[in-house]
Amino acid sequence: MGKYILKRVLMLLPILFGITFLSFAMMRLAGSDVVMQQMDTTGMAFSQEVLDARRAELGLDQPFLVQYISWLGDFLTGHLGVSYVSGEDVFASFISKLPATLLLTVVSIVLTVLISVPLGILAAVRKNRWSDRLIRVCSFAGNSLPNFFVALLFMYLFSIRFPIFPVIAGGTDLKSVALPALTLSVAMSSRYVRQVRAAVLDELNKEYVQAARARGIRFSVTLWKSVFRSCLMTILTLLALSIGSLLGGTAIVESVFMWDGVGKMAVDAINMRDYPVIQAYVVWMAIIYVLVNLLTDIIYRLLDPRIRLGGKEA
Amino acid sequence: MIKRWMILLMTAVLLTVSGCGSRSPETGTDAVSEHADGQKTFVFGDTTFNAENGEPDINPHNENGGWACIRYGVGETLFRFNDAMEIKPWLAESYENVDERTWVIRLRDGVTFTSGRKMDAAAVKECLDALVSTHVRAAGDLHIEEITAEGQTLTIRTEIPVPALLHYLADPYGCICDVQAGVSEEGIVQGTGPYRAVSLTTDTGMELEKNENYWNGKPKIDHITIRTISDGDTLTMALQSGEIDAAYGLPYVSYPLFETGDYTFTGCATSRVFFGAMNYESEITSDPAVRKAIAMGIDKEGFVETLLGGNGYPAVGVYPDTFSFGGDRVTAETYDPEGAAQVLEEAGWTDTDGDGVREKDGRPLVLRWLTYPSRQEQPLLAEFAQATLGAIGFQVEINNTADHNRIRADRSAWDIYVSAMVTAPTGDPEYFFTYHCLDDSPQNDGRYHNDHLEQLADEMSRTFDEGRREQLAVEMQQTILNDNAYVFCSHLQMNMVAKATVTGLTAHPCDYYEITVDLDINET
Amino acid sequence: MKMAGKTGDGRYQKRKISAKQKLWILLILTLLLLLAAIFAESICPYDPNMQNYDMALKPPDAAHPFGTDRYGRDMLSRVIIGARTSIFSALLLVLIIAVIGTTVGVLCGYAGGAVDMVLMRVSDVCLAFPGLVFALAIAAVLNGGVGNAILALAAISWPKYARLARSQTLAVKKAAYISAARLAGDSPFQIIVRHILPNIRGQILVTAMLDVGTMMMEMAALSFLGLGAKPPTAEWGSMMSEGRSMFQTYPWVVLTPGIGIFVTVVLFNLLGDAVRDCMDPATRKERGIL
Repeated sequence: MGKYILKRVLMLLPILFGITFLSFAMMRLAGSDVVMQQMDTTGMAFSQEVLDARRAELGLDQPFLVQYISWLGDFLTGHLGVSYVSGEDVFASFISKLPATLLLTVVSIVLTVLISVPLGILAAVRKNRWSDRLIRVCSFAGNSLPNFFVALLFMYLFSIRFPIFPVIAGGTDLKSVALPALTLSVAMSSRYVRQVRAAVLDELNKEYVQAARARGIRFSVTLWKSVFRSCLMTILTLLALSIGSLLGGTAIVESVFMWDGVGKMAVDAINMRDYPVIQAYVVWMAIIYVLVNLLTDIIYRLLDPRIRLGGKEA
Repeated sequence: MIKRWMILLMTAVLLTVSGCGSRSPETGTDAVSEHADGQKTFVFGDTTFNAENGEPDINPHNENGGWACIRYGVGETLFRFNDAMEIKPWLAESYENVDERTWVIRLRDGVTFTSGRKMDAAAVKECLDALVSTHVRAAGDLHIEEITAEGQTLTIRTEIPVPALLHYLADPYGCICDVQAGVSEEGIVQGTGPYRAVSLTTDTGMELEKNENYWNGKPKIDHITIRTISDGDTLTMALQSGEIDAAYGLPYVSYPLFETGDYTFTGCATSRVFFGAMNYESEITSDPAVRKAIAMGIDKEGFVETLLGGNGYPAVGVYPDTFSFGGDRVTAETYDPEGAAQVLEEAGWTDTDGDGVREKDGRPLVLRWLTYPSRQEQPLLAEFAQATLGAIGFQVEINNTADHNRIRADRSAWDIYVSAMVTAPTGDPEYFFTYHCLDDSPQNDGRYHNDHLEQLADEMSRTFDEGRREQLAVEMQQTILNDNAYVFCSHLQMNMVAKATVTGLTAHPCDYYEITVDLDINET
Repeated sequence: MKMAGKTGDGRYQKRKISAKQKLWILLILTLLLLLAAIFAESICPYDPNMQNYDMALKPPDAAHPFGTDRYGRDMLSRVIIGARTSIFSALLLVLIIAVIGTTVGVLCGYAGGAVDMVLMRVSDVCLAFPGLVFALAIAAVLNGGVGNAILALAAISWPKYARLARSQTLAVKKAAYISAARLAGDSPFQIIVRHILPNIRGQILVTAMLDVGTMMMEMAALSFLGLGAKPPTAEWGSMMSEGRSMFQTYPWVVLTPGIGIFVTVVLFNLLGDAVRDCMDPATRKERGIL
């Protein structure tokens, strides 16, 4: 087991190298740089000397590879550098934004499970009845609303029409997290309800369910004891995927609700071509990716000992 | 069993959530002035207080930190602008321009920093010395050779004649703060303004307390929160829900929501102008007839009225009419689609194949319109002009991209470059021409050149007389307008919307002064 | 769906009859939608790019059933013409990622070894790479527009299909008939085309159908971040994103393109379900048992 985990963590290295280089190259190709972006947003023209001085100060006048190697060297010695824009230490400001994203992730996941699992099971059990259809229509609607629109809708409903929650996050507390988390879970639940429903239907069609029914065991008992457990796998797989993307921060929802997490940080950094922050974000994404994959495999194994670790390796 | 367990869990979560909710009515009213303990609070939502705008903090020596410093009433400058954008003493009391390179400034007595230190010439010298040693733009503007301090008298000697020195000192970077008190970890400085920053988080906001020892009256609000809200729609909702008392940067389309009598608007024209620069190396826009037709083919009034909902000012020249040398002191082509078509026709641009696009010598009249999306007005203007110019036989191809800075350097890739620039950040006219229109201007990407303009610019750089500078400013604007080298579409209207209970919040043409000692919030 | 009965046995009985019919009905509806998109220009009551400032932001009425936008353009015409951009770009995108992903996946699953190792590492990098950075960079290099949005989304979405196809291939590969085919002297290409693809295409097709909606949402998200269609191109996601500030004041500007997205998403989702019901041999068998 230990060896396996070590192997998986070592897998991080090529991914890390690949994606940091890729992101560096792409942001370089994307043209413009932090100095130019600042000129746009402020509308103040700089003289060539000012531009050159700023670029030299940030090392932007160096060739691309030199910049990358210098970044890599710093990174390997444990330095993520300082933001071009705010001048703050990248690692410190990144860490300061993590709790917000973690809280949002946890609450959205809990909400999603609470919404999609019961509704999915209900829809499966009541297949093709009105409740099933209602649930499916809702899931279609949730699937066809862009999340920036859902965010506005919720703000309007729950902050202005019925002032329950604040529009802007006052901090990382439960009250402020409600609307952003709800917004995120609408899209996720809409997708998962359907998948839970399908998974439950598959189970219900299996012979043991029929056999249990024939033996006179109460349907609800079968449902909760066997069917639910079997569907856990589907649910876990879905959650693993979502947790990965949620931990990466959800750019739009975080921006709209002024939720001070890593997603908002990433968008701002990309807009401003703030390379050190972008690189830190990319590194974070690689770490999440590998960790989430590892955790999923381990949980699979715990749930179903028949699966050999490594067999499911991506 | 699991069912029961789940029901329990769900109930628990619902209770938690609704429990949080039920507390909100009291917390929701936080934003409104709280009278329970006799303390007045005010929350200001702003789209621009962020690192992206070069305002990671309020340190005036750090990029555009001075903007936040002066806007939110923390810092003040030696000189300031009145409503006609004329320069007036502020922390200074009077000045004397001894010779071309020497300025003697007498400072106001009885002003103290929020650190407790008295503002004297020595403190100002320390601040300005620190400014020019760290702020590249300031150093380039001011050309300070030496500052001497004696009591309340400050003597500045410049390396070369700087006629606009006082204007530069009124730039937000010129906020005077106590350098000995230093800059806190968060980027807080000690200024002389009506409010004192107590905490600051980049891209999130700042908390202010009133400065009890303010030199120019008693600040009326006890506690002010500045909240960075980058998304315009979120800002709208926050003002609707009462979480903020006033907002800067609302999208124009949300204005109707606040035209109910419960809110007040304050706005005025700023020198930020949306304008197109013609490419003189393009085969299309190097044709004077084409440039003239473009100038005549854009309906500036229509643009401001319909697309900006009246929230803007159709531009004539470089400066809005709040400036003594701006507005209709100059004349430009007016909207005249028939006339524009005529001009093109006479110049040989005719639609021979009947596809609605004119041609000349087999070349279609395709106008490549380069702009960028970070200002909400720019894509609107592009799409608007696409239609109005289309009607007179242009085919406008819009390239709306964040990568415009690289593209505009490539003169084979565009015909007209539309941007939004502040034309007189310090109230002085020289800046715009120096940066945009001259042979050695860093922003003259269209390679515009006019001998007469060069001469006038040269004269301006040596002229100290305000009246003559104004005359030159008018003449220079008229020169570039006669060439149709630039087409100025509209001036940005800077707007603040506040609850009707808020008083003393007034928009200023220079966009610097927002929170002042006059700000108050009244009981209803 | 209407045909389904209320009681246990009855509903399966009736459903069995209607499954094929349902598929046909949905196919016809989808075809109608696609035809509408193809012939959008002839259906539009007005020129979708015609600006008319006297008519700006007019609420829906008889002349303009969907109202007008801030340029005074007819929203109904823009929603209709937007169908072409939105639906075809989503379909094209799904097609690209499904084909590339399946090819890579089947190849990895069948060949194994070094090929599998290298291609899967590449897909790891793509999956782990933040889509946002990718999309923004592509848009900045290639200057936005629908085509480039497709490119950006394709680059980060194909690994999903690669993994799906790979795991399915691995499962099928062990089956006895594959060994039989191999013993019979079939080439790997023949085995993949004749035996593996037919067995995994159902799952891929269903995933693809469901992805049409997802990809529309992704395009809308890109528009929100400023990487949408180039003006004056009408595209539903960009239209919603551009109109979002008006949702309290002029709601029709943002709601009407939303209707377009909703109809399309529902249609493709139902079609996906119907295809699964008809194609998946397992479901067919179980339906028989019940």
